[in-house]
Amino acid sequence: MAAIPLSVPTRPNRDSRADPAGTRDGAEACLGPAASACPHCGTPVEGPVDSYCCHGCETAAAIIRGAGLERYYTERESYPPRPEPVSGGWAQVPTETGPDGLAGVRLAIDGLRCASCVWVTEKVLERTPGVESAVVSYATGRATLRWDPARTDLPALARRIAALGYRPRPLGEAGAPDRGLLLRAGVATMATLAIMGLYEGLYAGWWYGDMDPRFAALFRWLSLLLATPVALWCAEPFFAGAWNGLRHRVLHMDLPIAAGIALLYLHGAVTTVMGQDGYLDSLAMLVALLLAGRVLEARGRRHATEAATALAGSVPRVARRVVAATDGENERVESVPVSELRVGDRIDAGAGDELAADGVVVQGTGQVRMALVTGEASPILVGPGDRVVAGALLVDGALTISVEAVGDQTVVHRMASELVASQDRALAPSSTDRIAPWFTAATLALALLTCLGWWLARDLGTAISRTVAVLVVACPCALALAQPLAAAAGLGAAARRGLLLRSADALLALGRATVAGLDKTGTVTGGAFVVTEADDAALRIAAGLERYSTHPIARAITAEAALRGIPLPQALGVVETAGTGISGVVNGVRWELRSGGANTVELSRAGDHDGQVARIHLGDRIRPDTAAAVRDLERFGLSTALVTGDHEQVGLRIAHEAGIGSGAGRVRPEEKSAWIRARQAQGDRVLFAGDGLNDGPALAAADVGIAMSSGAASSLLVADGIVSTGSLRPIVAGVRSARAAERAIRRSQIQSIAYNVVSVAAAAAGLVNPLVAAILMPLSSISVVWNAAGVERVVRREETWKP
Amino acid sequence: MEAVIFLLPIVLGLGVVFAWLFILAVRDGQFDDLDDPPARMLQDDWGDEPRPANREK
Repeated sequence: MAAIPLSVPTRPNRDSRADPAGTRDGAEACLGPAASACPHCGTPVEGPVDSYCCHGCETAAAIIRGAGLERYYTERESYPPRPEPVSGGWAQVPTETGPDGLAGVRLAIDGLRCASCVWVTEKVLERTPGVESAVVSYATGRATLRWDPARTDLPALARRIAALGYRPRPLGEAGAPDRGLLLRAGVATMATLAIMGLYEGLYAGWWYGDMDPRFAALFRWLSLLLATPVALWCAEPFFAGAWNGLRHRVLHMDLPIAAGIALLYLHGAVTTVMGQDGYLDSLAMLVALLLAGRVLEARGRRHATEAATALAGSVPRVARRVVAATDGENERVESVPVSELRVGDRIDAGAGDELAADGVVVQGTGQVRMALVTGEASPILVGPGDRVVAGALLVDGALTISVEAVGDQTVVHRMASELVASQDRALAPSSTDRIAPWFTAATLALALLTCLGWWLARDLGTAISRTVAVLVVACPCALALAQPLAAAAGLGAAARRGLLLRSADALLALGRATVAGLDKTGTVTGGAFVVTEADDAALRIAAGLERYSTHPIARAITAEAALRGIPLPQALGVVETAGTGISGVVNGVRWELRSGGANTVELSRAGDHDGQVARIHLGDRIRPDTAAAVRDLERFGLSTALVTGDHEQVGLRIAHEAGIGSGAGRVRPEEKSAWIRARQAQGDRVLFAGDGLNDGPALAAADVGIAMSSGAASSLLVADGIVSTGSLRPIVAGVRSARAAERAIRRSQIQSIAYNVVSVAAAAAGLVNPLVAAILMPLSSISVVWNAAGVERVVRREETWKP
Repeated sequence: MEAVIFLLPIVLGLGVVFAWLFILAVRDGQFDDLDDPPARMLQDDWGDEPRPANREK
């Protein structure tokens, strides 16, 4: 095997499997004393020179180098503190440039409070000259921006978002939670309780009719005193939202709320001076409940971010690039930001590293786990010439990789961005987009009408209180959020159980599927190897050679030998060459076991490749939990069918073993999509699960196509969802989550429509006083959040429920 | 009824004290993350990374 001459082992145990000669060269060139200091912050580190103490320092150093500021390290007079995860200047945030010349970036935006905020941010950005597109996700609080770098830049866009009152921050840094919102909610709640107590006294005094006017005045003035910080400080987010909307000529949903609060406070102040009861308790309670709802929503949004962060954070931002040293003979390794990498560069990776780019292995071997891309959890062995992808984890070994794709061209990035973009779109409040301005205008008109009507019919006080009620109950946030929140919760519930779905549409389609078409290989059957054909003598020797190995094939062989009761012979001088095979001496003869093509290993005498060869065939068997998963699918009312290209006999046998309803054997890949279309023509909605290698057309044709483990990247891109563990169980969990989400959406929509229609009409008619309105409106928002949060709970309960 | 003259300031004062304590707690970051700390205390190898709240010098 080839040596990895100049990879710098930054961890002491990195090179245990590398060629010792090669490592020594590297050691002489690069290794320093065992104890050294972090080049960035000076913290003592165990290991060779140039080991960073932490990822933060490595990233900071790479950024400094990437900006051509190495002089900093020679000119500085003291070490900097370790980098804290706070946002730096916006000019330093890395952006990606697409093939069309547009720059793009994903940002997190803090402070997004409701669907209307998202809408405003999106619109304002879209109207900024030079911005091509802006998608802001409510559930994740993230924005995807694309712009023409010649006409605007990221700092300007960030300032623009900040000008709206929201806080943009680069992704990949811990977001500071919105403490202000919680503070405001807490203070408003305490003030509300006090004001309610005082008002209870006033109401009681009014009821019995003999309250001392001096105490009444004291209670009113104290209430006003307590209500003032609530109206001026706690309610500030609503005023800011309304004002920002007005300034950008957008009718923001905060506007009617802010108007209501202002009206209530002024009314309360005037009545206090005049010695009458105001509505200050309603005011405080309204603010407190609205803020509490927003705190809950913000927490839900943080939860929904988890899954997306897992994918986005999987590619490291720093790579070790191999460059020729100045003397032209040796090579050295330098840390560079991933954005610096170019196609054709060579990068080093050691055990435990995640690969920073797609590429081809040029040197070294190692076990690589590509679960992120293929869904296959068990590591596969790669050697020179093999393709690896960014984000894959090098379990052991050491590799030098020739870079073929970086950044947004990598497979995992394309997958992630597609996943994220479709997720954002599904979560974008599209209905609010259309109706928000009309809704606000209609609300204001209705409020004006109510005010005028009651002023003429009764008096100004009644008019104001009823107008306030209309303004307060009119917010349609709950309705606009019903689908996005519940769908996000359903997607999260499915993701936690191993099924990554691309969009809310896919989730809903999964819930409505009536037929499940299952591919055989890799889907119904397991990915793990088992011996399907071998003679006892060959198996005995092979098992002897493989007895100490943990490779999947080795385990299959020794397991089969144990199954057949063959004792394992003693093998001497076993040499395992990663990637090629294993050899050793059994009964005085040196044997060699090596790969013989697909699903076959060949056993022969060492060096005798032309002579007698014994072949051991390996294959797969039905997954142990397939039958249970199929039973669950049938219980959900789905009819199951095995669609396989294998022989009819095999298909029927496997279908029978797994309890699958019908087996269709000898179906060629192109006929699988025809089979799906035939079922669709009968009115069925088809779920298709395949291993992805040749199921691309079928996955695309199905109403919802789910790719299984070991799938090719191309067909993973076609699929609506990816099962990340080797089992059909995640699909069952996905159907369960989808149905729970669907029920939650329907319940939320019915509830919020009922709330809005009834309460606006009642408020205009004067049947709703401001207090009732202040409870009703946030209640509808909270009920939507509650329904969405209940999806996970329902799924969990159904999972543990045994018939 | 005149007792209210004394009781009100006392009660409101208590309320202000609790509000102040609440503000202190929020500012200290007690409510920033309600999910991680309960799990983190079960981990033995916590300490690989700087504490989230090592602001004190």
